[in-house]
Amino acid sequence: MASPRGEVLQGTLDLIVLQTLHAMGPLHGYGIAQRVKQVSEDLLKLNQGTLYPALLRLEQRGWITSKWGASENNRKAKFYSLTRAGRKQLLAETESWERMTALMARLLGGAEGA
Amino acid sequence: MEWLRIFGARLRGLFRKRNLDRELDSELQTHLELLTQEKIRSGMSVVEARYAARRDFGGVEQTKENYRRQLGVPFLETLAQDLRYALRMLRKSPGFTAVVVLTLALGIGANTAIFSLMNAVLLQSLPVRNPQELVVVRYVAAQSEHADEDFSYPMYQALRDKSSVFDGVIARSGVSFNATYQGQSEHASGELVSGNYYDVLGVRPWLGRLLSPEDDQAPGARPVAVLSYGYWQARFAGDLSIVGKQILLDAHPMTVIGVSPPGFFGTDLARDPAIRVPMMMTLAFRPIPANRMQSARHRWLTIMARRKPDVSIAKAQAATEVLHHQALEEQLNGLGPSVKAHDRERVLASHVLLNEGNQGFAHLRDAMQQPLVMMFSVTAIVLLVTCANLANLLLARSAKRRKEVAVRLAIGAGPGRLIRQWLTESILLGLLGGATGILFAVWLKTGLIHFLPAEFSNTLRAPLDARVLGFLAIASVFTGILFGLAPALQISRSSVTAAMHGEASLAVSGERFFSLRNALVFLQVALSLPLLIGAGLFLHSLRNLRGVDTGFVKENVFLANLNPALNGYSTERIRILYAGLLSRVRSLPGVRAASFTTSSAISGGWDQEGVRVEGYQPRQDEDTSPNAAVISPGYFASLGIPLIAGRDFTDQDNAGRQKVVIINQSFARYFFGDADPLGKRISTDDDPKAPLNMAIIGVVRDSKYVSLREKPRRHFYTAMAQEPHLFDMTLQVRTTDDPRSIGDLVRAQVHDLDPNLPLYATTTLEIQIDDSLTSERLLTWLSTLFGIVATLLASIGLSGVIAFSVARRTREIGIRVALGAQRADILRMVASQTALSVSAGMAVGLAATYASSRLMAGMLYEVRSTDPRSYAAASVLLAAVAALAAYLPARRAAQVDPVTALRYE
Repeated sequence: MASPRGEVLQGTLDLIVLQTLHAMGPLHGYGIAQRVKQVSEDLLKLNQGTLYPALLRLEQRGWITSKWGASENNRKAKFYSLTRAGRKQLLAETESWERMTALMARLLGGAEGA
Repeated sequence: MEWLRIFGARLRGLFRKRNLDRELDSELQTHLELLTQEKIRSGMSVVEARYAARRDFGGVEQTKENYRRQLGVPFLETLAQDLRYALRMLRKSPGFTAVVVLTLALGIGANTAIFSLMNAVLLQSLPVRNPQELVVVRYVAAQSEHADEDFSYPMYQALRDKSSVFDGVIARSGVSFNATYQGQSEHASGELVSGNYYDVLGVRPWLGRLLSPEDDQAPGARPVAVLSYGYWQARFAGDLSIVGKQILLDAHPMTVIGVSPPGFFGTDLARDPAIRVPMMMTLAFRPIPANRMQSARHRWLTIMARRKPDVSIAKAQAATEVLHHQALEEQLNGLGPSVKAHDRERVLASHVLLNEGNQGFAHLRDAMQQPLVMMFSVTAIVLLVTCANLANLLLARSAKRRKEVAVRLAIGAGPGRLIRQWLTESILLGLLGGATGILFAVWLKTGLIHFLPAEFSNTLRAPLDARVLGFLAIASVFTGILFGLAPALQISRSSVTAAMHGEASLAVSGERFFSLRNALVFLQVALSLPLLIGAGLFLHSLRNLRGVDTGFVKENVFLANLNPALNGYSTERIRILYAGLLSRVRSLPGVRAASFTTSSAISGGWDQEGVRVEGYQPRQDEDTSPNAAVISPGYFASLGIPLIAGRDFTDQDNAGRQKVVIINQSFARYFFGDADPLGKRISTDDDPKAPLNMAIIGVVRDSKYVSLREKPRRHFYTAMAQEPHLFDMTLQVRTTDDPRSIGDLVRAQVHDLDPNLPLYATTTLEIQIDDSLTSERLLTWLSTLFGIVATLLASIGLSGVIAFSVARRTREIGIRVALGAQRADILRMVASQTALSVSAGMAVGLAATYASSRLMAGMLYEVRSTDPRSYAAASVLLAAVAALAAYLPARRAAQVDPVTALRYE
């Protein structure tokens, strides 16, 4: 069942974007996509276009803000950065994610052992 | 609160959409360029790089689409989309749209018009401060179901001075004035009010000051008057200097102290008195009886009170009851031992009732409530029939729009989305209908008000206020949903494949479709039948009223009013003028009789006067007062009322002779039983020591006096020549031909006697009687009109259903005919299902009418609300119309040519 090209769940994408902005500071859309590609070492291939609705959603929730600036090639680009609320959200989600993975690991590990 | 922030952001997005679109474009552009450059760096050619970048990015348009969906408020956007689409569809078929909008405009407009009247008459509060605190005090005599509103002045004083539950108690009584200013006289309506009247109601002066308790301390002490805004405008052209000037009311100079504000009409919606004077001025305008202000027996004023804010009606009622009882006891004690124990008991058993007073004295409401509710039900039913009809129309149209639906389904619209789209369309139609209906509502409302008796139509205002417009909006949306729902649900059940196949699929999914349409026919028939039955009953009742035995001959009587008192005539001059005019009119060609009276028949008003009768001892609280009128000789000949015993008045019965009266049969029977009344004596002076000064000289047949519906009343007539004061009177002329033709001749005679004397309110007795039947005629007219409209709508719907079914089954019919079916069989087959719906509808309609017949009973005259003839007539009529409506399209089925039919498809 495992797709070679990992499907990205909506909540996961949000978490990835928040974490990326946390680690890298303000980035534009292309920058975020690059970073995600690097970190996942191409295991996680997402259509880069899907980033944009996600960015809008995060902005509407007040977790990130955006500012116009100039890109590397001197084009107009929007730079996204984490807000305080976003930082809190990242913390909360990281915790719950860790709890979940720990639980899943225990469950699946137990299943293998049986 | 997070959802709120998100909603806010999305709402902003909705309005900044175009801007944000452009921003997104440039953002994506940058992204793609950077991505392409990255690919070029990794060694691709420019073309390859561009292609690869696109691939990595995914669909640009898809991204934009998702982004936009995230951006705005989908509900509002879809709504806007649906509205645009609906408008386009309606524009595409202007004929259909026009028919639907106009039908709805009539239906909704009629409902709104009636509602605006209901709002004005039944719902609106008095334009005073905190009207919900007001109560109307009513009086219920011992062992009586009926409450009236009349109290004596001493009782008013007791309630005003001793009550602890009220913030103020006011009294008022109607009066009319001959108002003279700068030599010009005219008739003006007035009110005697207690000094605290304006204070308690919370009304502020528009000009000058209003009456205060100081104006109402001692009898006759303060001859002051307050004008209503309307009268001040009409009579004094809004003259600001009127305050402080004197006007003559009857013969009394009164100083105008102020003007009440516009919109304030007092405490009765049906009356708008022009002039208000302190109650302590009563004896100037109503000199008889002289003890009016002290007598506990004379109940002549009405009372309203303002509750203290924390006092409930029930509590106020209990406290007032105690006070009322105490006051009665004191009054009885004051009369001394002459009061018999039995009478004392009866008086003390009477009690008071407190009613909500936010609408004031609601005579108009009482008179109009039933007709208004009835009219509203009628128009509401017509609106329902209209909805059922439009639903049918929309069903037929939805059949034509199957291809469109199929395409929508195929590209992924769900049933919910389709229902929304269709409802948007029908609600839009409803709103368009409602908006157009405003015009019709205004027109109909104005017409209805003019239809009302003049006493109401002059003062009744029915503005299209917020409540009426709210009703209009709700009715429009509700109507839209009602007639759109069935077709919308129908269409949402379509499946893509069936829809794509078009007509052929109808036969498969058609059965339910068909029965839905039949259900609508059933509904329309069930709703139309009660309207038809109602119309029949009202027609019947009106015919009964027109045919009622009035006791007089109503044909060929000319009526006209004359008021020489307004021109400053003394009673003596009036007497001479009236006598001269009578002899001149009697000698005109075509005149058979002429006379004067103070009260003309079925004019709606009549005087009542208390009498003492020789040999008759009334109980303490027995109301013996008969109707009374002052007449000239020739009165009975003018009206064709037969004299049963004794004689008519003659010119010799004048001031110098014995005072004489003529009584009617009911009077004779009530007071004298079988004894001969001729020569017996009566008096209108209620002082028991005064002599019985009037002798009975004649008995006439009973007739109708105030209204056609009245039971026989006791009545007596006195002679004009013996009356101490004469004012306006009605001239009655019996003619040989059309009474209207005599008008100009009479007017010329009056002009000859005094060119400044106007003859007014000229009419004929027949017209006057017809005017007394306005609400009956209005109800008959409306229910007949709407009954016919509903029946026509129902039969159009029925025709449509059969025509649809015939079209659908053409092939089947062809086969049947080919196999030898007779025309009659085909007719029966096509019509049977519809016949079933019609019969079921009629059964339910009959049952519903029967069940609700009690509501109508009070409005009918000498016809039972369950009158089987009316039920049968309406049923036969409806069945006949339905049969005709079914026959026309069914005949086409019977004429189907099997060869053509089988070639079909």
